[in-house]
Amino acid sequence: MQASRARLFKEYKEVQREKAVDPDIQLVCDDSNIFKWTALIKGPSETPYEGGVFQLAFAVPEQYPLQPPQVRFLTKIFHPNVHFKTGEICLDILKNAWSPAWTLQSVCRAIIALMAHPEPDSPLNCDSGNLLRSGDVRGFQSMARMYTRLAAMPKKG
Amino acid sequence: MENKEAPLEDGEIKPMSVSMPDLDEWGNFGDDDIMQQQSAIQAEEAKKVPFIGDKEPLSSLEAEYQSGSPILLEKIKVLGEHYAAIRRTRGDGNCFFRSFMFSYLEHILEYQDQTEVDRIKAKVEKCSKTLQTLGYLEFTFEDFFALFLELLDCVIQGKETSISHEELVLRSRDQSESDYVVMFFRFVTSGEIQKRSEFFEPFIMGLSNTTVEQFCKSAVEPMGEESDHVHITALSDALGVPIRVVYLDRSSCDNGGVSVNHHDFIPVADDLPNASTCAETNTPYIRLLYRPGHYDILYPK
Repeated sequence: MQASRARLFKEYKEVQREKAVDPDIQLVCDDSNIFKWTALIKGPSETPYEGGVFQLAFAVPEQYPLQPPQVRFLTKIFHPNVHFKTGEICLDILKNAWSPAWTLQSVCRAIIALMAHPEPDSPLNCDSGNLLRSGDVRGFQSMARMYTRLAAMPKKG
Repeated sequence: MENKEAPLEDGEIKPMSVSMPDLDEWGNFGDDDIMQQQSAIQAEEAKKVPFIGDKEPLSSLEAEYQSGSPILLEKIKVLGEHYAAIRRTRGDGNCFFRSFMFSYLEHILEYQDQTEVDRIKAKVEKCSKTLQTLGYLEFTFEDFFALFLELLDCVIQGKETSISHEELVLRSRDQSESDYVVMFFRFVTSGEIQKRSEFFEPFIMGLSNTTVEQFCKSAVEPMGEESDHVHITALSDALGVPIRVVYLDRSSCDNGGVSVNHHDFIPVADDLPNASTCAETNTPYIRLLYRPGHYDILYPK
């Protein structure tokens, strides 16, 4: 418990330093609970998520950093490796390939990379995975873009 | 984690999406549940074998194979010519690192070898530099390094913080402390492999079809990933500690006689100490028994 708190505090300081370096990631710690974080990440360019801002929720376990944080998309996203309803993310580093060398910040980076490079062979969103697996890139992109517009972009007045 | 409604999930989008809280069965059974189930199974296993067991006579190993392969029983007899006891470790994928941890610290405790402590501290410092050069952020690994160095100081007697052999056993069985030291070794191993990636690359290609970096990220750094000769070579080299691995398997010799093979991992001398200490360090005092898929600690006669 103490170890995880100390580690998270170091990450907090690192996040303050990294702010300028990584403008695509805005990682914020809950005011009253260092085990709860949220992040706003920018959809990578040249993907259907471009122009969107996606919110992630982090719940950090007491055994952190020996165990990975739980991360979910709060913003709806159409992506083969994100559960459409719960926002759960299928990413190896958040499961069995986790190691303490990762940080909340680098997890955000990995999620952005996953957005740009979906892995349709291990889908959490089968509809999305099937579109890609059947080669319907256009269909996938238009669905993904539609949800980006609906859920991840500011509404036009 | 509670399922907070997304701020963007407002009136305008709602007609588009299926209602959020109303999850179907599969939605409820997510990866988190699977991970929880996994840790429940691990906890169940944990009750059976502690991270580090008690020292047992070699006969307990024999008892295990009473109704098993006669070759193994023969080999255990041969093993008994040189070794007196075994200390089992939990088979959780970390057994090599855990065996090494205990065996090394126990050796320092027993021999009160301050010279060795100073030597390895310098090596640990180098490993830390290696990781930083490779681009690892110091705060991601420093806590693990600090705990190992702390334990190293504790096993040297005559200080307020000194610990007895019993305490060493207890601390090695404590989940958080034990896992932190295992993680320290994983960082050290990963750093060494990446530092000498040209040397390790062909071995890694033989094990898995990945790059050196991917191998370290997926098969060295994550807890519970089993160790192979690549890990052992790297750890032995990085810390300059020779390791003997004694192999106990069903393979028999062509000439009919039964013998037990062992392999000594002798660290490369990158910073050549004087010849006498070199010869001294070349006799492994870390002796591990390998049975396919698992490492335990061996004690000589």
